[in-house]
Amino acid sequence: MSPALGRLDLSVLRKAHSFILRSYTLQMSYKLEFFLRLFFAFFNILTYYFVAKLIGTAGAPYLKPYGGDYFSFVLIGIAFSTYLMVSLRGFSETVRDEQMMGTLEAMLVTPTDTTAVITLSALWSFIVASVRVFLYLIIGLFLGVNMSNANLPGALIILILTILCFSSIGILSASFIMIFKRGDPINMLFMSTSELFGGVLFPIEVFPPALQTVSHLLPMTYALNGMRHALLQGYSLQSLSSDIFMLIVFAVILLPSSLFIFRFAVNRVKEEGTLVQY
Amino acid sequence: MHPLQREAFTSLDSVSIRVKEGEVFGIIGPNGAGKTTLIKILCTLIFPTSGKAYVNGYNVMDESAQVRRSLGFVTTDERSFYWRLTARQNLLFFASLHNLHGQKAQERVGELLETVRLSGRADELFMGYSAGMKQKLAIARGLLNDPRVLFMDEPTRSLDPGAAQNLRDFIKEYIVNEQGKTVFLCTHNLDEAEQLCHRVAIFDEGKIKVAASPQELKAKITDVTGATLRDAFLAFTGKRFVEDHHAERPRREPKFRHGVGLGMRRRGL
Repeated sequence: MSPALGRLDLSVLRKAHSFILRSYTLQMSYKLEFFLRLFFAFFNILTYYFVAKLIGTAGAPYLKPYGGDYFSFVLIGIAFSTYLMVSLRGFSETVRDEQMMGTLEAMLVTPTDTTAVITLSALWSFIVASVRVFLYLIIGLFLGVNMSNANLPGALIILILTILCFSSIGILSASFIMIFKRGDPINMLFMSTSELFGGVLFPIEVFPPALQTVSHLLPMTYALNGMRHALLQGYSLQSLSSDIFMLIVFAVILLPSSLFIFRFAVNRVKEEGTLVQY
Repeated sequence: MHPLQREAFTSLDSVSIRVKEGEVFGIIGPNGAGKTTLIKILCTLIFPTSGKAYVNGYNVMDESAQVRRSLGFVTTDERSFYWRLTARQNLLFFASLHNLHGQKAQERVGELLETVRLSGRADELFMGYSAGMKQKLAIARGLLNDPRVLFMDEPTRSLDPGAAQNLRDFIKEYIVNEQGKTVFLCTHNLDEAEQLCHRVAIFDEGKIKVAASPQELKAKITDVTGATLRDAFLAFTGKRFVEDHHAERPRREPKFRHGVGLGMRRRGL
């Protein structure tokens, strides 16, 4: 790595630290809200625990590839779909919040690039989401979910690719918010389709074949499939390779295109003079 | 009109100015004249639809990163800070965006807080600051990267007469005389323009009507004895200059607690 590139990386890390510190300090000035949110996440999990008890072995044929237990299945679904929700809301809400607070303009007159400002601003949301996912998994373990065979490196690879794919969708969503201010179709499209078709609450095998095709067009399907196999079944990297490959394909397509579209959106609003309007 | 098409209007028209290094250049004009648009173009926040603009020799369109590296921007908007962070935390955050980190950032922030005489209250939350203190902090932020050019958009707008005069003295003595910065100042206050600016441009309806020193502008008005900048404004625009009602009058502190999603929306309540 060249010294200039090394300095650049270090600068990005230091900026990331500043953004996290800022968001943490702001969040901790609303401590009650922060802890209440985490606390009530527990009730969400508990609801599905009892739904799973009710279902019992009714869905066993569909759940067999994932270990056969509905609660384990849905726990991973809810936990990791959090990243999609955070991505879809995180970037666009960052843009809106900073516009409304009046701080966006002050940040954009600094040498830090607009894309970096928006991306780094959303970092805190991902940290909170990760804490939440971790808590979900801990609660799951206490409620009997078996992850003793988990392939953690495999899960980590899938997690990184998942965040890359979902963040790209989030950046696309933020591009729409930049230009149209409200009424973001990307957010609406992925919010409404991913939970239904992505296999969050039930396996996609429940769908008729035609609808399963829709599921295969969503990165959520591969993210959750891979994550369940890695954490619940302990699949090897080789067995996870098809899901990993599909996530790489999505990331390779979505990441550069979302950044390109975001830059286009920034240039467009700068031309229109509506950068800080909301 | 197509539902997705936006209504467009010309906010700046054939503006041509050159500001010398070390000069305090003032733009005076009524609300909606295009002053803020001009500053935003020069700060790379808005792209011009035609023409070219340079700051420190850098093109605002093609070399926007270099432009931003060499300028400081002081806005009158007190919402541009994080209200639930302290003054020091705010400055350290913005310092990192200027690539100042660690000890270097701490030293620079400490030095600037000392300069604007806020070091004694640097660790208090921004939301507890008076309008004058907020404006001083905005100036400190504008100086974080030690810019060659400082853009100031109505820096004394929300201050009472005493605080406004103190700030003008600070701008003149420290920023101009001691630091030798080039200052590009938008103001709605003719006394301020006269006190601070080497040259002033009278701006109206997106056009520069005339640019000269305050003395030269006044001297051009031969039909009025003891002409003022107000007379000059009337002569060059055909309009009476109405000073901002906010100017020189303390703004009432908002009663809400500022945070994510608050601000202007709550002001209307």
